Amino acid sequence: MNTRTLPFAAAAVAALFSFSRATAAPLADSAVGTGTVLGNAMTQSTRAAEPRDPEWQKAKHTPTGQMFELPPAIPKPEAVKKFANGWEYSGSLEFGYIGGDADERSAQFRTYSDPGNEAHVNTFNFTMRQPKTGHFVELTGGGAARDDQYYGVEFGRVNDWKVKLYYSEIPHVFTDRYGRLWNGVGTGNLTLLPGLTPGGTASTAADNAAVQAAALANQNTTLALKRERMGARLDVNLWTNWKGYLSYALEKRQGSRPLGSVWGLGGGTAPIEVPEPVDYDTEDILAGLMFADGLTALNLRFSASLFKNNIDTLTFQEPYRIAPPAGVTTNPAVGAYTQGRIDLTPSNTAYNLRAEFTRKLPDFHRGFLSLALSAGEWRQDDSLIPYTHIPGVALPNVTLLPGGGWDSAGSLSRRSTNAKIETRLADLTLSLNPTAALNVKLKGRFHETKNATDPYLAVNPNAVYLDADAATAGNQSRGLTFDGVTGVWGRLPNDASGNSVLLGNNANPNGNTPIKAPTFDSKQHRFGPTADYRINKTSTLNGSLEREVIERTQRERARTWEDRAKLGYVNRGLGASTVRLSYEYAQRRGTEYRASTYDGLFSSAIFPMPTAAGANVTSWAVRTNTGMRAFDLSDRNQHKGNLRVDTMLRPGLDAGVSFQAVQARHPDAAYGRSRNDLRSANLDLSWQPSPKQSAHLFYSWQWGRITQSTIANANANLTIGLVTPLGTVTPANAIAIGAAPGGPFFPLINAWTGRNEERSQVFGGGFRQDFKAASFHADFSRSIGRSRIAYDYTIGGAINAANAPLAGSRMPDLATDVDLADLSLRVPLSTGWAVRFVYRYQREVIRDWHYYNLAATPVVSANVANLPTGALLDAGPTNFRVDWYGAMLQLKF
Amino acid sequence: MNTPSLFTFPRLGLALGALATVTMVTSIIANPKAPTPAVPLNGGATYIGEAVCIACHQTQNNHFAHTVHANAFRLNPKNEKEKVSCESCHGPGSNHIKDPISPGNRVSLVGFTKEWGTPVPLQTQMCMQCHDGGQRMFWEGSSHATQNLSCSDCHNPMAKVSAAGLLKKASINETCYTCHQQQRAEFAKRSHMPVSDGKMSCVDCHNPHGSTSRNLLKGDTVNETCYSCHAEKRGPFLWEHAPVRDNCLSCHNAHGSNHDKLLNVARPFLCQQCHGNAGGHQANLFNSSGILGGGGAANIRIMSHSCQNCHSQIHGSNHPAGARFQR
Repeated sequence: MNTRTLPFAAAAVAALFSFSRATAAPLADSAVGTGTVLGNAMTQSTRAAEPRDPEWQKAKHTPTGQMFELPPAIPKPEAVKKFANGWEYSGSLEFGYIGGDADERSAQFRTYSDPGNEAHVNTFNFTMRQPKTGHFVELTGGGAARDDQYYGVEFGRVNDWKVKLYYSEIPHVFTDRYGRLWNGVGTGNLTLLPGLTPGGTASTAADNAAVQAAALANQNTTLALKRERMGARLDVNLWTNWKGYLSYALEKRQGSRPLGSVWGLGGGTAPIEVPEPVDYDTEDILAGLMFADGLTALNLRFSASLFKNNIDTLTFQEPYRIAPPAGVTTNPAVGAYTQGRIDLTPSNTAYNLRAEFTRKLPDFHRGFLSLALSAGEWRQDDSLIPYTHIPGVALPNVTLLPGGGWDSAGSLSRRSTNAKIETRLADLTLSLNPTAALNVKLKGRFHETKNATDPYLAVNPNAVYLDADAATAGNQSRGLTFDGVTGVWGRLPNDASGNSVLLGNNANPNGNTPIKAPTFDSKQHRFGPTADYRINKTSTLNGSLEREVIERTQRERARTWEDRAKLGYVNRGLGASTVRLSYEYAQRRGTEYRASTYDGLFSSAIFPMPTAAGANVTSWAVRTNTGMRAFDLSDRNQHKGNLRVDTMLRPGLDAGVSFQAVQARHPDAAYGRSRNDLRSANLDLSWQPSPKQSAHLFYSWQWGRITQSTIANANANLTIGLVTPLGTVTPANAIAIGAAPGGPFFPLINAWTGRNEERSQVFGGGFRQDFKAASFHADFSRSIGRSRIAYDYTIGGAINAANAPLAGSRMPDLATDVDLADLSLRVPLSTGWAVRFVYRYQREVIRDWHYYNLAATPVVSANVANLPTGALLDAGPTNFRVDWYGAMLQLKF
Repeated sequence: MNTPSLFTFPRLGLALGALATVTMVTSIIANPKAPTPAVPLNGGATYIGEAVCIACHQTQNNHFAHTVHANAFRLNPKNEKEKVSCESCHGPGSNHIKDPISPGNRVSLVGFTKEWGTPVPLQTQMCMQCHDGGQRMFWEGSSHATQNLSCSDCHNPMAKVSAAGLLKKASINETCYTCHQQQRAEFAKRSHMPVSDGKMSCVDCHNPHGSTSRNLLKGDTVNETCYSCHAEKRGPFLWEHAPVRDNCLSCHNAHGSNHDKLLNVARPFLCQQCHGNAGGHQANLFNSSGILGGGGAANIRIMSHSCQNCHSQIHGSNHPAGARFQR
């Protein structure tokens, strides 16, 4: 806990303990916040191998008709162990040795777990309770000394108060095949390995060769991070009907992961994957009060999340000779780009206050009223770094005033982000029962995400233009004024290896230099009635109508509204079956779609479009295909159907079947996502002929398809007076013609359509057999995933005739096969001791064209003498097959 | 310049404090009583005490004794309702023991299995005697309630099958999978949340007992839910990306995906669903000729992280020059 939060937490703990503890309500609200489980990939296997209680009653079913799982065998009450002071205790420990292939390094194998060929303390539990007073202590843990270890302890008095302390680690391996070029991985300062020259050499071919050699020589580098989460939580029953909780959690994330970097203006100059350091601390604080008396219920909650990135920036030496951008007059010189700098994710804070209130209205149609109010604030105020670290960068027609160098904070419109987003929620429900069989609810919800940040202005306020204008003779020194700020507008991207600065009249002004950052607000209103009608004792019919209106600033549509109608049917009494069926139709529409919504953020807001005949107006008139629709805003007609049947086929044998179908169409989207379909079918079988035997099988099938289309742009210039298929270009129609499908930039012959089709199947099951003494358990699953991207195009349009035979009609399939089998045989050795023999098989096969041949050719270059198309240092996922086995001793007491 | 909200934290704090005070005063002074059921429970039966129940249900009691319910009822009961132990959930048992066998007499006791046949609303009512409010505040009207689910469709209060929560299966996730098989299949895909690895549960993101958000999310929005673990994505950033601020699910499938990073579609096609700009490359048809070994010129915009090879800060950039999310 750091100094920011310690006083607050201490005060809150003291306040909570100061309350009386006369109480009534149960302590069953641990589901607030995250981190709800302690375990790892081997926990389930250990539990599953435990023998079941042979004396348990015959298979019983949930009200839906699914079998309850048999409870594990437990000691009889008279066998419970006690200390002399009356405390009862019990516990278990499993430890042993694992051998085989558990040391496999594949990132896919180790993504979130950390097995290994060595001794393991797999799990342990210890519980004590004092029957006289109700006090208890529970200790649990597992994976000791591994990267997926976990520990927890709870103590308190049942039905009174409880303290929970926990610690858990989660590994996250991104790649085990990263070709490292730097020392300092995991830090904010990367220095090139010996043999690589910062800023490159005069020979790009030599640089390419050196980078390739270094990457291949160090291709076994693992980039991974580890989450360590630790926390404490107190739950207390306060006065009658009141209870409270307070929790604090600290999560540390440390490690590294691949991150792209690029040079130039963003045109793909020598992109290199650098290892991004991760050193995050996140503190989460929760405090709440809850009240419930059978009529009224109230929840009050305060939450705070304090995120801190301990590494603000990543400075990395780069091994290529990056050319200065066109227009930069004095510096940087050739070879000056020896290093780059990335501003890493900034520290931020979030606070939220929330109140939830319900009141039953027993005398008013047996109704109830519920209300939720929530207000949050997210802040981020990181110091901003200058555009470049290179001193002396100068631009034509621009004079830097004292302190205005592009490598200084004086070149920025402000020194820190000073960003804030406010969130607000109000949710109201009134429920009434006009008749014994009918329930009607009226629901309304308002949510707002308000970005209260002053948009960042990309301007150097300590610079002026040295140029001419039409009204003044000779060159003038002055800045341009926009949004109340005067200076030179634009930015120097990528450490000033790119130039996106509005250079003024003397250097041909343009309309597409970004000068202002967007801020996005949204307001959501959702309201409508629902009704539930009880047809008879076992079946209900439900329906709802709902309108959702979302207002957004800065987006292409200011307002969208979606109407949903839903009908559902539930019948628990179809013999031994329960049927659930629902259908929903939703239709989204909105106000005019304005592709030009971002115009106010570009230099076109400063310099109006030229109107003279022959003037090139491309940068003002042509941004994006005006027929394109963002799929989250476009019109949509959506059908959604669900069917689920649970049935008891015969005593001890259950089946569950479900189907889902979704069909979405975007009728106004001539370009962009136009269709989205999803189908799934699932089958589950559970068999439990006796307490000693059980088995289950499941199969899931999924199919999905997304259809999208667009028009590859043509190289063209839009000039006033240009004759196009859509008419002659004038200042009035330049945007309508320039950015329209069928215009000079988006000729229809360049249109292409893509279809992403996903097919997935998962088949799995399990089997358990308890013998007279021993018990056996097996689990297995096989997952098959295929993703195919096919495309339609016109030869000579989106793809030229030479490339068409290579392009074909689709990408190679993306394929993933994942197999898993876990077998356990538990053999008792004595009353307390047993041995569990465990075998695990895991196999994963991945084919991903994103990584084809990168292991052999990390430096992708059309010509060894040119800067690389990319230095893609992550060779991607690898196939693996692992068999490991172990003998684990178990002690129970 | 944006205007600050009227609902500042001090004002909201005062309002919430006032609400708590009013609730407390009302509860103490008015001493309201919960409505009594229109029909007497279990046919107007009377309480018989748990010793009578245990006499027949020894095995059930052995298991029940290890549950948190038994501990609360037996070791530290706080009211008369809890002191009656078995009958606090099943209702008074005097009519049941008159004829415990006949299916026709099942109305004499509240049961929580399909075989027993107690109507679901009555089952829920019994649980809510103690579990009203708290995280079940919005149970009524939730999608699970609309599906006519009973508490015991997920919970088994009679035995300690799960480490916590008295669930019907050994874990939260296995319990949810009994109905949500599609999500189980998604967690088995190439990229997925660490759910099957025992490091996360469905309840980290969802409140199955009801919430004010769609899909029973614990956060007020999808993004707020995601930020609870991915706080670094919260920003706000100097340069923001519209769909990122709007909804993480624009690009990601929260459960699992056949693609890297839980993406909905492989890059660059994912990005091209919205980006059809004239700037040179966004709308190009990247195809199999451009992959390394595809026969054509290898294309950086297809391979590895595709668009994010350059636009790597796609969740937002805090660099003054980060308008294109490159630094």
